[in-house]
Amino acid sequence: MQQVTLSKRINELLVLAVLDRGPAHGYQIALSVDEHTGGAFSFQHGTLYPILHRLEADGRVRGRWQGEGRRRKTYRITRAGRADLAAGGAELERQMHALMALLRGTHAA
Amino acid sequence: MPREHPLAGVERELKVGPRRRLDLIEEVDADVRALQAELERRGRTPAEARHEALRRLVPDGEVLDQLEARHGSRLQRRMRAAGWLDLAVRLGVGTVATLTGLAAVRITAAGPDGPSTALAWSQVVLIALLAANVAWAAARLWIQADLRSSGRRLLWARQGGLIVVAVALGALGAAWEGYSAFAAPDPATISSLAAWGVIRRVAHVAAITLATAIFGLFGWLAITPRMISDEEVERRIARFFARARPSLELQPQTPSVHTPTGG
Repeated sequence: MQQVTLSKRINELLVLAVLDRGPAHGYQIALSVDEHTGGAFSFQHGTLYPILHRLEADGRVRGRWQGEGRRRKTYRITRAGRADLAAGGAELERQMHALMALLRGTHAA
Repeated sequence: MPREHPLAGVERELKVGPRRRLDLIEEVDADVRALQAELERRGRTPAEARHEALRRLVPDGEVLDQLEARHGSRLQRRMRAAGWLDLAVRLGVGTVATLTGLAAVRITAAGPDGPSTALAWSQVVLIALLAANVAWAAARLWIQADLRSSGRRLLWARQGGLIVVAVALGALGAAWEGYSAFAAPDPATISSLAAWGVIRRVAHVAAITLATAIFGLFGWLAITPRMISDEEVERRIARFFARARPSLELQPQTPSVHTPTGG
């Protein structure tokens, strides 16, 4: 897995977290992220697709085409994706705690 | 004037192979339709829902760059990252043309001199141009992954034109050799040795011409299977946009600018 920035990592975890609830189409993932985060995170201008395709290329999600003529693509999380979600969630939580502690310290000072 | 499909710009700008382009536009189109339907179900007007779905899901320039980086070949990714993709392709095409031309020089120089020597040497230039044309197409297919229908037509037109010029020059050269020898004041005085020399020179010009034409045809044939499969996908892309035309009635006004929070 390649090195990614914090914002990219957060976006990956958002997508994996939605797919952990069940298979979904791209637009459902975008809607779910928006709704479950109260609009704090939102995919605009197709930013979802490079993330989905990266996760698919890395084997963390599996995309599957359905239908003849007008095809639709459905994504589901893989075992590797679930493991990454757990590890990434824990790591992000630790980083957020550290960040908040620093910020609170700054405010207190 | 008919409106352009919202994904036409994406298809035009995305420099990846046609299969990837087709997959992406079909995926985004299906998502846009489904999101529009969902937003309408939630009480938005069709125009508002369409506008919102397009704004959220249609990739912009920065996202297209990310998709190209994701779906390009490894070689393309490395060269694009280094920032010398176009230069490397130009240098590669120039090198192939030069090396092929040098090989043709060696073959041509081994032949006998005659009145049509200049025409025989012009075949060297044609061979180099044929090699450059095929190398250009191969680079567009396998490295830049962006040989569209217009590029393929250009390849065929150039290659066909160069082969026709080669054959025409060859025929002219052979005729010139024969005419120069046998249109002498008294053809009966030509010795069998001299006649054999003329036949040799005509055969040499014909052989160089045939070699040039075969080289051009084989170079063309070598990349044809890939171009045929790409052409089939390009037709599917064209069918996609033709089929999707009725839905354009809902295309919104220019979307407002939003800073993407994804990445």
